[in-house]
Amino acid sequence: MAGGGAKLKAAVPRLGIGLPYFASLPAEFYQCGAVDFVEITPEILCRQRPAGNAIELEIVPQHMERAKSVCAGLPVVVHGVELSIGSAHGWNQAYLEMLDTFQKVWPFVWHSEHLGFQTFRGSDGCTQEVGVPLPLPPTNEAADLVARRSAEILERYGVPFLLENPAYYLPDPPSDPEIGDDIGLMRKILQRSGSLQLLDLHNVYCNAINHHFDPFAAVDRMPLDAVAEIHIAGGSWDGGFWMDAHDGRVPEPVWELLEYTLPRCPSVGGIVFEMLDEHVPRLGADGIHQELTRARKVWMSCGQGDDHGATRLSDVAGAVSAGL
Amino acid sequence: MALLDYQTSLARLVRVSNGGDPSPGVLLTPRERRYLADLPGNSAFCFTVRVQRSWCTGRAAKAAYLTLSVLPTERRERLLEEWVGSGGGTHSFVGAESEAFLDFIGRRLPDPSHELTICRMELAALRSSEGSLRFERPELSRIDRTDCVLLRGRYAEVVHFYEEPERVLNALLKREPCPALSLDITTLIFGPGLDRLYMRASSMDAVLYDRLWSPVSTANLLAEGFNRETIERLLEGGVLEYVE
Repeated sequence: MAGGGAKLKAAVPRLGIGLPYFASLPAEFYQCGAVDFVEITPEILCRQRPAGNAIELEIVPQHMERAKSVCAGLPVVVHGVELSIGSAHGWNQAYLEMLDTFQKVWPFVWHSEHLGFQTFRGSDGCTQEVGVPLPLPPTNEAADLVARRSAEILERYGVPFLLENPAYYLPDPPSDPEIGDDIGLMRKILQRSGSLQLLDLHNVYCNAINHHFDPFAAVDRMPLDAVAEIHIAGGSWDGGFWMDAHDGRVPEPVWELLEYTLPRCPSVGGIVFEMLDEHVPRLGADGIHQELTRARKVWMSCGQGDDHGATRLSDVAGAVSAGL
Repeated sequence: MALLDYQTSLARLVRVSNGGDPSPGVLLTPRERRYLADLPGNSAFCFTVRVQRSWCTGRAAKAAYLTLSVLPTERRERLLEEWVGSGGGTHSFVGAESEAFLDFIGRRLPDPSHELTICRMELAALRSSEGSLRFERPELSRIDRTDCVLLRGRYAEVVHFYEEPERVLNALLKREPCPALSLDITTLIFGPGLDRLYMRASSMDAVLYDRLWSPVSTANLLAEGFNRETIERLLEGGVLEYVE
């Protein structure tokens, strides 16, 4: 598995600065030169429908067509939210089947998911949704489960698979001493599966505030050579906690964390400014453009980019097929 | 640690948040039991529960957007609280629970009332919209076959307005007093193949839809005086279907 991982690691192309696909933003925004690649959550293009006793995720053709036309010519990476990769009772098979279809229609450069779980087995034996993602305990059992599934995903899609470190509010759960904490859990999973990390710096910041630790020291302990993508985002205070709300500009300490972290990540392929679609109108196209411009400055100052900025789809397709 | 048991216990705690034994019937180590038992008194856990409730409320509010927007604030909040308290709002896909939530709301609104009409209209629009994704116009020549039998469309619905629909909607959306319930009923008919998914129903449309609560052959319908044009129009709109 580790060999496959090294091969995939080498195949992570440098894309530049990315933005999620927002249906509320005009297509021109994605084509104005500020965006080098688009991060798409395929579930937002889908509807759920019953299929016998199971649930199917069906891509809505009109949504797909619009998204493809908005992102025309830009490389695309997939950032899923529905897989529930850490659910011990089973992951979301419908999500994977949908992604199989998605990949045939719209190939992606890499694929990421959140390290956590959001479904559980109800008392009737059926899958139930928690309603909010929850962190996994740092145990060998959790590491084995996610590593096995991550390796399956790598095999299934043939592109790098990234796991995102989550923001969490719960106090530290019981752990296995050799794993220790969430950083140890991520490290163990990456080692065992060959998958890579999507390092969400706002999540690190959020956890550092809420759990009172030094975010820079936390970054130092992370497997930075396996970081393939970085997320930055905004948040806000709520009830005495810093919320991972994705509701606005990136806070200054997260920019500092980015400037500290990026030069230490040799394999990073891109930085994505994350935001929830519902908050896009409040920040507006100008505000988003400013955040992307600042991210690009950091990217360029670390020697990550070239004079032309984006790697275009044809380059990426070549790099990925050569690497695989 | 048995991951399955831990996740089940933690998820139940977050969803129920009612204290008590967090892990009935599951096998956990004493250390894990202590961790879970201490959670309800922990401020970070309480915050997690608050986030969960807030996300669920947000999803539920989207799932019945129009209906909730025409209800008074207090009633809207009470319905959302009741729905989320009973485990609603956890689905990421709004459509997956819209139908159940609108049905839940509908059972709590006075009948007849303009609010209930809006609720039924939102449900009808949802169903016909869902049906439109895979709707195929039927072959009309089948009407002439002797074994042709018709039924109401799976994604069709009829909604009665007790005043002109525009007047009701305008009043509700502008939060102005609603017109009194009128005996002069306007009927809208929803179907996956109709333009804009609905149309004003003629009296024959409404009677034919009512008649087809169970299957009837086209020969009988024509003999009863329903005209062929009406049957064809409703079939093309997905308001009626052939019984296979």
